Amino acid sequence: MNRQARALLSVLLLAVVAFAGWRWWTDLREPAADEAEIVIGQVSSRGGTLISSLRSEPRSFNRLVLQSFATDLYSTLTQGKLVRTNRATQEIEPSLAEKWTVSPDNTTYTLTLRDGVTWSDGAPFTSADVLFTFQAVYDEKAGSILRSSMMVNGAPLQVSAPDARTVVVQYPAPFGPGIGLLDNLTLAPKHKLQAALAAGTFGQAWNAGTPPSELVSIGPFMLTRYESGQRMVFSRNPRYWKKDVAGQPLPYLDQLILEIVPDQNAELVRLQSGQIDMLQQQVRPEDVATLRPVVDQKKLELLELGVATDADLFFFNLRPAKWAKDPRGSFIMRKEFRQAISHAVDREAFANTVFLGAGVPIWGPVTPGNRKWFSPNVPRYPFSLDRARALLAGLGLVNRDADEWLEAANGAEARFSVLTYRGNTSLERSAAVLRDDLKQVGIAVDVSVIEQNALIERMVKGDFDSIFFVVNPTSLDPAMSLDYWLSSGSAHIWNIAQKTPATEWEGRIDALMLKLAGTVDADQQKAIFNEVQGLFAENLPALYFVAPRLYMGVSTRVGGLTPSILRPQLLWNAETITVRGPAPGQAAPQ
Amino acid sequence: MGRYLLRRLGFALLLVFVVSSASLLLTHLAPGDITTETAIVLDPEARARLRAELGLDRPLLVQYASWLGGLARLDFGRSLLYSRPVSSLLGERALNTAVLATAALLLATLVGVPLGIYSGSRARGIGPAVVRIVSVVGLSVPPLIGSLALVFFAARTGWLPVGGMTSAGGVELAWGQWLADLGRHLPIPVMALALPLAASLERLQSQAIASAQREPFVAASRARGLGRVAALLRHAWPVSLRPVLALYGVMIGSLFSGSFVVEVVTSWPGLGRLMYEALRARDLYLVAGCAASGAFFLAAGTWIADILLAIADPRVRTGEPS
Repeated sequence: MNRQARALLSVLLLAVVAFAGWRWWTDLREPAADEAEIVIGQVSSRGGTLISSLRSEPRSFNRLVLQSFATDLYSTLTQGKLVRTNRATQEIEPSLAEKWTVSPDNTTYTLTLRDGVTWSDGAPFTSADVLFTFQAVYDEKAGSILRSSMMVNGAPLQVSAPDARTVVVQYPAPFGPGIGLLDNLTLAPKHKLQAALAAGTFGQAWNAGTPPSELVSIGPFMLTRYESGQRMVFSRNPRYWKKDVAGQPLPYLDQLILEIVPDQNAELVRLQSGQIDMLQQQVRPEDVATLRPVVDQKKLELLELGVATDADLFFFNLRPAKWAKDPRGSFIMRKEFRQAISHAVDREAFANTVFLGAGVPIWGPVTPGNRKWFSPNVPRYPFSLDRARALLAGLGLVNRDADEWLEAANGAEARFSVLTYRGNTSLERSAAVLRDDLKQVGIAVDVSVIEQNALIERMVKGDFDSIFFVVNPTSLDPAMSLDYWLSSGSAHIWNIAQKTPATEWEGRIDALMLKLAGTVDADQQKAIFNEVQGLFAENLPALYFVAPRLYMGVSTRVGGLTPSILRPQLLWNAETITVRGPAPGQAAPQ
Repeated sequence: MGRYLLRRLGFALLLVFVVSSASLLLTHLAPGDITTETAIVLDPEARARLRAELGLDRPLLVQYASWLGGLARLDFGRSLLYSRPVSSLLGERALNTAVLATAALLLATLVGVPLGIYSGSRARGIGPAVVRIVSVVGLSVPPLIGSLALVFFAARTGWLPVGGMTSAGGVELAWGQWLADLGRHLPIPVMALALPLAASLERLQSQAIASAQREPFVAASRARGLGRVAALLRHAWPVSLRPVLALYGVMIGSLFSGSFVVEVVTSWPGLGRLMYEALRARDLYLVAGCAASGAFFLAAGTWIADILLAIADPRVRTGEPS
């Protein structure tokens, strides 16, 4: 065989191999005919294991001293509260307190605890545990992060226990959220933690290094194994108090495993390949297309949960000291400048670019996802470049030289920097869209994407022009997010912790929010908060453009879910979840 | 030889000290600290209290001196992120990384060295050309892309788990089954680590063997009637090992201190991922501990490579120039 013939044969052979490989690749993992039958919601069996991913590990198992997503999730699965927010209805419902009464002056709540409830080690749950929890929260040495949020008008609640099943909680004054305040309070077992509180080591008690055998649970599951960096294994709490409508003890699952997967892409691949049943984070809009083939094969369900309650926001540094010597303060501190920006951003296009269409335009911090408090009547700034230019011209911002940017009368160019943090793709895209939109009206935006800790440090110190960020509200009830609304609040991010309100409108919002916190009539509450939202929309200390629609991916072997837009979206009622068939990686029972 | 090894040991200790100290100081200088993440939900007093509780309000020099005092007792401090002693975390994760590193080192050696000998000993031919091309491709692919491609392959085929060290559903397995499960999880991260290293070894070994083949003593051995392969393996290969073993020092160091890219993408709970998490959280003592272990493994790798080199090449022992 000569050289040419050998070369031809090699090419032919390669072509055959490539074709075979291509056929193998396209045929691979095609669903079998009988695989396409599983439908979510029809799954209802007792037992089994559910596997979810979790991006980060808990730093502590003590929810009273630390808040993080992982600690919150641990707490949801294993701990209990007197009352809780039903994530589906967004209403308060009984939990470890089966009922309560309220005094005519709306300051005293008398709660009756459920009978026969025990911790997972068999110790009875009594009012002593509730008293102990309040004691730990208010003890300064314990360093509870709930201390300030469990105050009303700066004073602690007075709690007493006439007997083992009765708790009387007295508020210093009528409080708008009422009993809902107790949804913040994760109960702590006195018999396990009182020694730590007495010794002044409550802050270190139940840290991440505590062996699971030393933890006790009152929730549906208990942590039985924690492999740092790998997984948390939860088993059914056989002493869990709740039963289903048929009187069967809950939870249905035998085991729930949280696999620690720090990388979002790796997490997605695991879901796609069926190695986990669900994620704890929403699916990014850009990942929907990736998951679509698995959805088409009926192996995965993409659940649309609705509009998120926490939208990304853009805000300027409104501390007067920041702009005292900076000539740009002459326009950045004016509400007309921020209104012009709001007019210059095309929110529909924003939703299409940043969230690939899966978002709704918004004009304030309360999104349509917050059904009780959302107001559709707040002032809006429809997309209009002409209106934006007119507002800017009213501030004296006109193009005074040959470049494309506007200048103020004092010579300052209409230019500012926007900080956002690395790794959050929607924020990075949002900042880029804002830059492009504002360029059309002659405002120059310099986007800096930095590491998250560095951004927060600069935000707290006030070392920034503006920031694109996301703030997760601690509660749907604005009266429980006073840190954000009050000018003295530590989450009043545009001008943190003011001694006295820096502006007249912030003073008005302060007064209204304090009034709201003391109002118990629902109609009055709504009217007050609508006024607050109106003031906010007029002055725009923070600009909100689009709230994303949330999607969660879940395996079709999972049933009994009541998805919610509130975190943890799928596991908030883990006790009712069921699965069909063996867990990924587990053999089917013989 | 003994004095030489002692000198290297002293250098290793100095390296560990300098690298861990520098890491601690640089992490301290970076914006934010472990409390930053919670800064916007904590009021300033609560944050100050938390910083005081963790000892972060003390001057840098006081913190450093306190850490050095602990280091003298082999106590790396307590992780602020995990609330556990750094040494126990390092031990746990170093073991996981060691499993991965050993497997990757073996695979890289078994693939890279023979292919290097093969391609270096033949000047022409389709075989050596293919090996060279594949190696260049292997060298050009960054670990991140390589890891993602392998993970994608595993996800697409369903043949192998795409991440983790053991199966979530297999927590109660017997010892033998656990080992088998571990074996199923190893290929993806091991290949992600080993393939670029195998390519490096192949290229280096190939050049070294080609150069060694031209040495007069190899020609002399052939003239004495030794076969081509025997002369290659018995005379040329040991001499060619000098640059290859030098690379091993760096390879052992980098593999055993953990690759955060591969470990994060494949969710392998090793030292690289621990360092990444510590850096993100500004966990000073954990960062310093991870850096110290990285420096230790680098020094140990170089040390081991030196010993192997002395065994392989007599000229190293006698001090004769190569």
